[in-house]
Amino acid sequence: MNQSTELYKYESLAFFGEVNASISHELKNVMAIISETAGLLGDLADLATTGNPVSPESLKTHTGSIIEVIQRGFDTIRQMNRFSHSIDNPITEVNLTELIDLVINLTSYLRFAGKTNVHNCDISKPVVKTSPFILQTIIYKALETHYKNGSPGEETVISVCSQDKSIWRIIFSKMNSGKHLFPDNSIKTMAEAINLKIVNSEGRLELDVPIAI
Amino acid sequence: MKILLVDDEKKFVSMLAKRLELRGIKVDYCYEPTSAIKNIEKGNKYDIAILDVKMPGMSGIELKRKLSDIDPKLKFIFLTGHGSNVDYNTGISEASHYLLKPLEINDLIEVLHILVPESM
Repeated sequence: MNQSTELYKYESLAFFGEVNASISHELKNVMAIISETAGLLGDLADLATTGNPVSPESLKTHTGSIIEVIQRGFDTIRQMNRFSHSIDNPITEVNLTELIDLVINLTSYLRFAGKTNVHNCDISKPVVKTSPFILQTIIYKALETHYKNGSPGEETVISVCSQDKSIWRIIFSKMNSGKHLFPDNSIKTMAEAINLKIVNSEGRLELDVPIAI
Repeated sequence: MKILLVDDEKKFVSMLAKRLELRGIKVDYCYEPTSAIKNIEKGNKYDIAILDVKMPGMSGIELKRKLSDIDPKLKFIFLTGHGSNVDYNTGISEASHYLLKPLEINDLIEVLHILVPESM
């Protein structure tokens, strides 16, 4: 096995670990909120036994909070599931907007994550045949570096536009860290594996994704 | 005893604050580090600051250092959802105590009374 294959394998595992750590942190926050809210309901119940009645509105508010945060937990688990299944097929048809949407959700759990919107320039669906895992790794790494170098809550815009019949271009606007979005060669190796062209200039990143590899 | 609680998870903060207040502990809370710094700079005094380790814009450890510069007598407890050894070793070297989320309220109360025994 050559060195770049080993590096690719390690980087892929490292990426999986990083995303799972981020998701588990989010789920811990969800559990912490449920735990505190349930604990508060228990405290109020204890107070009620000593003659301090609990208002129905208060009960409704707190139980509503629990239901709301449980939904947040389900949404997180849904994203985790989508991410886990992204390696089911090494090469498959992928809707770029849906893939980018998944990555935006996965990066939203990063503490320094900003607001990111994606839009499709064209009416047609941006479907390509590629490695979903490699493409989402590259997009994740770009957003992660961008968020780390930006201000909290700063907005990023991602556009998906067809260039011609053979390429879809993913354009990241208002990117921080200029030309240093991919500090190591592992991303370059991954990009080569799926014939992805990366054009990185000051404040802008473009990924040219071929229709099929 | 008066506590400053700093965490970007709004629901967690408000629930924990309510539970502490039911136990006779006065709590002020902030959802972001810069608000906490302004709060202390205004001259507000607290016995203990409970800080989330991971927050947007500034980590709990950086915040602890800034708040210590303003009020050297302030004691600190870190809260975190992370459980790595690296995080623990970093946290425990910077603060008096380091607790994992989800919290067990009685563990927190015990730590608070250890740090401020005169409050018992």
